[in-house]
Amino acid sequence: MLKKRLIGVVTVKNGWAVQSFGYRRYLPLGKPECLVENLDRWGADEILVQAIDRTNGDKGPDFELLDRLARLGLDTPLIYGGGIRSVDDGVRVIQCGADRLTVDALLHDDLTVVRGLANRLGAQAIIASMPLNMRKDKIEWLEYRRKANDTLDDDVMTMISAGVVSEVLVTDWEHEGQPNGFDARLVQDFPLRHVPLIAFGGLSEPEQMIALLKESNLAAVAVGNFLSYREHAIQKYKEALAGMPLRASTYESDFSLLADV
Amino acid sequence: MKNVIAGASLSPGLASVECSASAGYTTVGIVDYGMGNHASVTHSLRDLGYRVRISKDKAALDAVDVLILPGVGAFPSAMAALHQHGLVTYLQEQSRRQRPIIGICLGMQLLASASYEHEYTVGLDLVPGEVVPFPAKSWHIGWNTLECIQKDPLLQLSDGQAFYFNHSFKYEGPVEYQACVARHPDAFAAVIRRGSVIGLQFHPEKSQIAGKALLKNMIAGLTSEHVKNPC
Repeated sequence: MLKKRLIGVVTVKNGWAVQSFGYRRYLPLGKPECLVENLDRWGADEILVQAIDRTNGDKGPDFELLDRLARLGLDTPLIYGGGIRSVDDGVRVIQCGADRLTVDALLHDDLTVVRGLANRLGAQAIIASMPLNMRKDKIEWLEYRRKANDTLDDDVMTMISAGVVSEVLVTDWEHEGQPNGFDARLVQDFPLRHVPLIAFGGLSEPEQMIALLKESNLAAVAVGNFLSYREHAIQKYKEALAGMPLRASTYESDFSLLADV
Repeated sequence: MKNVIAGASLSPGLASVECSASAGYTTVGIVDYGMGNHASVTHSLRDLGYRVRISKDKAALDAVDVLILPGVGAFPSAMAALHQHGLVTYLQEQSRRQRPIIGICLGMQLLASASYEHEYTVGLDLVPGEVVPFPAKSWHIGWNTLECIQKDPLLQLSDGQAFYFNHSFKYEGPVEYQACVARHPDAFAAVIRRGSVIGLQFHPEKSQIAGKALLKNMIAGLTSEHVKNPC
């Protein structure tokens, strides 16, 4: 049967991988391709690279970064998000080596482009990225460029419900970077129960992930900051999540373990 | 090449792959008809020790040991591109000559007789059957386990391994051409085979060590069979 997934996230700002805290504070980590290469080596189920500074200033997708990632020859499926403004942008992102893409600003700006992307690339390639938070037991949706909270938009929810996108990346932006911070109500109370969700933001503890993975509408948990500063972080999480419907951890080594025969 | 270990202990299937005969001088040809990104497939094959040639030129493709038909996008435009490059008749002829052909993802679906994606479109018809949508227009994304339902030494070592799928259409056809299935929730064809033609609905090049092991088993097995039974 289809497994649930553990996704490794690399956040990129001004060309550098960063640790992000609550969508407002950033610490540099290094070259994105080094982090992506680690996630590939550690056996992440998917890798999400989100370039968070590409929409402001209309920079468009970071094709140079995608080119550098393509040269790594990743063995792991790659999701890219950041700066996608048009169907042509999305097609080029896929042609540059991404398997899937996320859209965020387009959900606010132009749903016809999102539908166009789905028609051209297939809904399985499109993920709606939604930074959410709970306020007075209600889900609010952040328009990150204006730093303003809105209610969930009816047109967007209708489009998602109709299957124009395959999954929704639910980011708990308020608790992003905060250990054990993810508010599980964002998954439990998400109004479209039949839409597969990816939970991200403040997911650090295996117990937290186990509780979320038991939710029927959750397809994947995504981890960013908490993969840093230790080796084989993906395998260690997977070992701690034993018993959950995830793919078993895998190991790859450059050292000779078998005699050539 | 890197050594690989699945789970906590060495998988017998992967150990067999690692210990099999050297990739030697086998050349794999990626059929370049303008659909999709070949970088990952090329990298996986080179990592396994194969020489790779990417071409739409028939003379160049004649010179390789195994043909790989990749594909990303929609069935009708992919078939149009194959027709445009004069590759439909060529691939059908290579199949008749029992040359090894491996289709990946959309490339697997192109091997079928026809597809209902967007509009009814005739395929390469190398493996009888049709490509139809999943029920309720759903999709199948992520890692799923392969179940071999036919005895096939090229595929058997991958039984029970998880591979990465990303598609919303599936093959439907005679059971004798369905080598392996996956479940979502009902069983559907994950690997189809007719003679020297094999189709993989998933992405072996994005399936990490399990994908590389399968690629190597298939290429080694198909080339060995072709040497034993030359056309």
